[in-house]
Amino acid sequence: MEQSRRITDSFPRRRRRGPGRPPGRLKDKKDKDKDKVQLKVKVRDCPRAPSQPPPDPALMEMLRRFDLSWEYGPCTGITRLQRWERAQELGLSPPGPIRDALLEHRDNPDVTY
Amino acid sequence: MFSEQAAPTAQGLLAPPTAEPPIFPRLAVAGYSDCSQPFQLGERSFSRQYAHIYAVRLATMRPGLEQRARGRWGNDIALRRLSELQEGEKCCVVGTLFKVMQLQPSILQEISEEHNLVPQPPLPKYIQPCDELMLEDELQRIKLEGAIDVQRLVTGTIVAVYGCEQDDGRFLVEDHCFADLPPPLPWSGPSSNRFVLLASGLGLGSVSGEALLSTQLLVDVVTGHLGAEGEQSCAAHITRVILAGNLLSQNTQSRDTINKAKYLTKKTQAASVEAVKMLDEILLQLCTSVPVDVMPGEFDPTNYTLPQQPLHRCMLPLASAYATLRLVTNPYQANLDGVRFLGTSGQNISDIFKYSSMDDYLEILEWTLLAGHISPTAPDTLGCYPFYKSDPFILTECPHVYFCGNAPHFQSKLLQGKEGQRVLLVTVPDFSATQTACLVNLRDLSCQPITFSSFGADSED
Repeated sequence: MEQSRRITDSFPRRRRRGPGRPPGRLKDKKDKDKDKVQLKVKVRDCPRAPSQPPPDPALMEMLRRFDLSWEYGPCTGITRLQRWERAQELGLSPPGPIRDALLEHRDNPDVTY
Repeated sequence: MFSEQAAPTAQGLLAPPTAEPPIFPRLAVAGYSDCSQPFQLGERSFSRQYAHIYAVRLATMRPGLEQRARGRWGNDIALRRLSELQEGEKCCVVGTLFKVMQLQPSILQEISEEHNLVPQPPLPKYIQPCDELMLEDELQRIKLEGAIDVQRLVTGTIVAVYGCEQDDGRFLVEDHCFADLPPPLPWSGPSSNRFVLLASGLGLGSVSGEALLSTQLLVDVVTGHLGAEGEQSCAAHITRVILAGNLLSQNTQSRDTINKAKYLTKKTQAASVEAVKMLDEILLQLCTSVPVDVMPGEFDPTNYTLPQQPLHRCMLPLASAYATLRLVTNPYQANLDGVRFLGTSGQNISDIFKYSSMDDYLEILEWTLLAGHISPTAPDTLGCYPFYKSDPFILTECPHVYFCGNAPHFQSKLLQGKEGQRVLLVTVPDFSATQTACLVNLRDLSCQPITFSSFGADSED
């Protein structure tokens, strides 16, 4: 057992918490850029790679508008990519740039919704 | 057909056995392919809500319904969404039906402590004259009234209504239509007589053993151990046996063990264990001779929500050694010798029976085919897996044989569609109650019942 292990090694101190965050999160989120992303997020499986450039606010805005558009069906409980592909199969012609953006930022957990 | 061929040779039973016993080889299966992949669930995630399945259902069936509406009411009718409705304008709206029923069992009412109500006992039918119909599309809902039979329809059906909006906010319906029969499949059935035996509701493990003799008679006839040479040669024409659900009886679902204390239930075995052993022995006898497809039913040890996954082969160690045993899902779809079979174990039909004024199982079966959906009441009143990508219960192709198990009695009908569809509708009766199974002739899509009662005057039809 290492001697000088501190609790903050496993649970880094987080200074800022958004209003919509659920309390008592156990998942380890190493150096998340909290100031960039203020959207309501859920507990995710894949942590973001530390060397990720922060996502573009215009991109997040476009993704949010994609979520809220009613033509493609409900947005909760499935990833944005799954919703995009479902809309594609149903012939609702979702905008292509959304898919490119989703695939480009595949390892960014904010892509999950 | 059986009795015509069998009767002349009955005298053979009174003669001494011949030196060379005749052998009747069973007709080999010409073509079989299982088409029930949409009903097989891979990974199961229940973290989704059911809004997805309704949204997908509406989005998938909308184009077909719009086409039907144009064909019926003219090419130039206005197809509107509920948000675009204008008062007094005659238009057509496509949406999902929702029936507001007072007697519908609601979990919220049951656990509401303020009302102090005893939970409602299960009723045979939950319809009432004051039920109302609402039409919902992606964004809004509206109450329907007019030329639409509120009692007959159930929640979850996709329908196109033609009418206009009244000034009090209701939609006055002048006419409505469903998705109608799906496009036909090409017919490549066999040219000689080939039979498929449909049976359901074996009900093993029940308290009374009356049906056991009939079950044994059924197995003996199919495997050729019973009857004279005529009957044996007819039985050789049976190419497959499909057991459509409820292999175990309702008695095996003993709920007492859940409520009793542990020390009282320590040495007792679940009733289903003995019943599954019996099922294994029966299936062993069948599988040595004929391919068998086993579909799970309401009381069988598999998941509750539709689509029910196949029974696990570890429960049937003796029978699953044979490749002729196929454990399949409920609903089940397969191509047998070029004939497309589609069927369920009856939960969808009996659920519609409870929430609709339709009384006849065959009528309900036909109605689900015309509505284009196997079980519209899932997930509202019938448990269903939360699909999000596609609704596998939508009928995209018209089957040749459409059956449902565990019906109160045997009924069959050959339905002819406008585009050349020919569907044989069969309601397979509950074997433990009626001792009747069905023989479907694949050559001409005819169906005859076969009864195995012990003390009846005529034992075979």
